[in-house]
Amino acid sequence: MSGARTHRLARPRRARVEARPADGRPLAVDGRAVDAVRESWLVEDRWWNGSPVRRRYWEVVTTCGRNLVVFHDLRGGGWFAQR
Amino acid sequence: MIACVLLPRFELTVAAGDREELLRMPAALAPEPGREQRVGEASPAAEAFGVRAGTPLGEALARCPSLTLVPPDPAGVADRWERLLVRLEAIGAAVEPERPGLACFAVRGLLRLHGGSLEHVLGAARHALRQPARLGAGPSRFCALAAASRARVRRPEVVAGGEAEAAAYLAPLPVALLRGRRETAQLPEPLARLGIETLGALAALPTAAVADRFGAAGLLARELACGRDGRLAPRRPPERLAEELELPEALSGVQLDHALRLLVDRLLARRERRGRTLRTVVLSAALVEGGTWREQVPFREALADPLRMRLALAQRLALLPAPAERLRLAVERFGPHASDQRSLLDEADDVRRARLREAVRQARAAAGPDAALRVLAVEAESRVPERRVVLTPFE
Repeated sequence: MSGARTHRLARPRRARVEARPADGRPLAVDGRAVDAVRESWLVEDRWWNGSPVRRRYWEVVTTCGRNLVVFHDLRGGGWFAQR
Repeated sequence: MIACVLLPRFELTVAAGDREELLRMPAALAPEPGREQRVGEASPAAEAFGVRAGTPLGEALARCPSLTLVPPDPAGVADRWERLLVRLEAIGAAVEPERPGLACFAVRGLLRLHGGSLEHVLGAARHALRQPARLGAGPSRFCALAAASRARVRRPEVVAGGEAEAAAYLAPLPVALLRGRRETAQLPEPLARLGIETLGALAALPTAAVADRFGAAGLLARELACGRDGRLAPRRPPERLAEELELPEALSGVQLDHALRLLVDRLLARRERRGRTLRTVVLSAALVEGGTWREQVPFREALADPLRMRLALAQRLALLPAPAERLRLAVERFGPHASDQRSLLDEADDVRRARLREAVRQARAAAGPDAALRVLAVEAESRVPERRVVLTPFE
């Protein structure tokens, strides 16, 4: 279909995260303090081609009750939120 | 001559069951789960507080703080009412049920069967019902209803004669009787506000004035008040075919879907179906927390395909307000035999696809090339979320 594009879903969007320097644990996401960390996991993917992915994911609950998934890009740096 | 059988507060009585004391205190049927928040039939004590069937729940509780709400039992009401209709039909009556608790039948064809007199026919009907009911007879359905509502349990009320006698009988009666007919049930209150208290006063109004103020319902009400009414439309006695499943523990969700699958398969396997398709079925359930739930499901086309039946029924089952302890599937109306074959080429699918393509084309013309997209899983198992699915143009 001419003119139509393919859209990726669940694209990461940049997030403002304050993290504890010692272990990278998020303390606040977009100005909201983190109440609890539910889970954390590491994703290493695409290491076999030219665009490898290394991310540390954190699933957190903020003080306002929101459940968020954020990750720290261990290659390029920066924090992102992702659904 | 039309006979009318009236069982006042039938739904409330069935829902109350053996708790007869409820009918002596202010009580009303609670709204059905998921439906409009209005109370159902009310006991005489509740009516004394101004609570009637159709009163909003909040208003009913404000009018009568001690009102007891009885959980409705739509499945029980339907079963009990069906039994009573079958008993009436067993004396040869061609019955037209108006609503649960109110039915009419023509007397003429029954006179020779039951001793040749109206009294004998009414006696046979009372005997067949095997429970107290008010019986009335009159030249029209509405007149018979008015007579039944004034009758005593053991003494039927009969209005002899024709249209003029019916009009004369109805003239002093209150307009509240119009609540007995579904089409005119909303009229008594506005009529009373305008000072029209009796059916005679309504009949005396000019037709044009009634039509201007109340429309078609008003015109019908005036016709009824004048002693005229439409013809009886007796029902065709249904074949009873039902399957029921006792659920060992209260089920909901996926387990309930399994139960539905079993019920559909059992129903379709019944010999009495004789290869016919099903046009309308009734899905009902006894709820764990008391009361019942009932949903009539007419299929878009008559079916005998269990998969399509399940697809249609599962959507209704999702409306179940609470876990069920008993599930029942009954046939209300059969369709033609399942031997109606489709064409060898499934043209319906092609037609559907063509319509879908046209809809997509129009949506894109109106809202741009991104108007119709679909979700496509490209790497469903990827650990990187943004790689799993994409939105791509709908082809």
